[in-house]
Amino acid sequence: MIKLQNITKSFGRLQVLKGIDLVVEKGEVVAILGPSGSGKTTLLRCINYLEKPSDGEITIDDFTVNCKRPSKKDIHTLRGKTAMVFQQYNLFRHKTALENVMEGLVVVQKVEKEEARRRSIELLEKVGLGNKLNAYPSQLSGGQQQRVGIARALALNPEVILFDEPTSALDPELVGEVLAVIRNIAKEGITMIIVTHEMGFAHDVANHVVFMDEGIIVEEGKPNDIFVSPKEERTKQFLKRITPEGVYSI
Amino acid sequence: MIVGLGVGFLAALPRLYRIPVLQSLSKLYASFFRGTPILIQLFLFYYGLPEVLKLQGIDLSRVPVLVFVIATYGLNVGAYISEGIRSAVTSVDRGQIEAAYAVGMNGLQAFRRIVLPQALAIAIPIFANVTIGTLKDTSLAFTLGVMELTSKARSLGLLAQHFMEAYIGLAIIYLMISLLLERAFQFIERRMLRHEQPISSSKQARSFKLWQKRRPAPDASLNKGGQ
Repeated sequence: MIKLQNITKSFGRLQVLKGIDLVVEKGEVVAILGPSGSGKTTLLRCINYLEKPSDGEITIDDFTVNCKRPSKKDIHTLRGKTAMVFQQYNLFRHKTALENVMEGLVVVQKVEKEEARRRSIELLEKVGLGNKLNAYPSQLSGGQQQRVGIARALALNPEVILFDEPTSALDPELVGEVLAVIRNIAKEGITMIIVTHEMGFAHDVANHVVFMDEGIIVEEGKPNDIFVSPKEERTKQFLKRITPEGVYSI
Repeated sequence: MIVGLGVGFLAALPRLYRIPVLQSLSKLYASFFRGTPILIQLFLFYYGLPEVLKLQGIDLSRVPVLVFVIATYGLNVGAYISEGIRSAVTSVDRGQIEAAYAVGMNGLQAFRRIVLPQALAIAIPIFANVTIGTLKDTSLAFTLGVMELTSKARSLGLLAQHFMEAYIGLAIIYLMISLLLERAFQFIERRMLRHEQPISSSKQARSFKLWQKRRPAPDASLNKGGQ
């Protein structure tokens, strides 16, 4: 279980997150939606401390970090429980697909090389890249790179995988393959928090949708509640702008 | 050169990590060694340093000249290399460092395993430049009486009264060593950047094909068309 309590974050005088409370149950797939600048990516990055929250408390499992004064060890433990898939893939460019996936296992988790290799190959096959094990990122398409990124996250066997707009940088025809992979792993009961602009995908895959605007959570609930019958005015406006009329009525 | 690599690396770190006092020291160091001629640096180190240290009661008169020369060149090269390393490290994109942290690495692991290998590959051309430059600068060491290539050539020329021949020979020797170094660095660079290669080599292949296409076919020679 993941519990965020009163997370705030300011950049200088600009307050980006104004006290976020969120509970994510084990095995849940959470989609965070919202207009750009609403703080959703910042929130996601706060969870693994790539962004340092100004205040609040993060609990993953039974490990709690007080964001007022976290120790280095706290941050390290927190990062050990999470994994992230980035918008720009951020693969290690001097390493092959296989080495990218193995890196965390070997360096951080100290898994034996042979074992790490075996598990990594398995994962790369799962994301459909069994024939690209020795390719460098520069030899892969965006969609393939992102699938390596997902395999790299899966390899760590984290409590939660954080997806930061995983398809935003992709050509439209490559979005499908990445979403298909995420869909597949969602079925396996891995906890995921996904920041996305793909409304259809969020509707299908997520079982908990969060709508954010201007640094607060405006509304959250089951996908049908949010997409079909949103209560808040701001949610309605956002959905109307982003989706053509009638697409999500059932 | 190797001394320079070490010094340059050490001097680059404070500025990369913005360590307060060391940062400005390393800046000062770089501007001094890049801003003054190597000849003057040699003189200062060889003639000046022992005098200063004598006041402290340290006697350097037994230390061979070569040590001074190597130390000076090392510090000089280090200044250039520190700048090279600094720019190379900043050119490795931030996202990969974030990814390394997200995977659970600590700062040292991320630097050693992700940033450094890529930064070194980027910095190779700079290293090559500095190395070849230093090779030629060593000709200044003869001013301190060290028998290196240039002074050897001079004394040979003096001996045989054939200066031109001696200097032409000297130029050829420098050129050969430089070419050799160039080749070696090219090889290292290609090896270290092999992860970026396929794209560039396929580009090359493409432009080669284009070039071939633009050339007239061998049998379409001009005089044939004219007749």
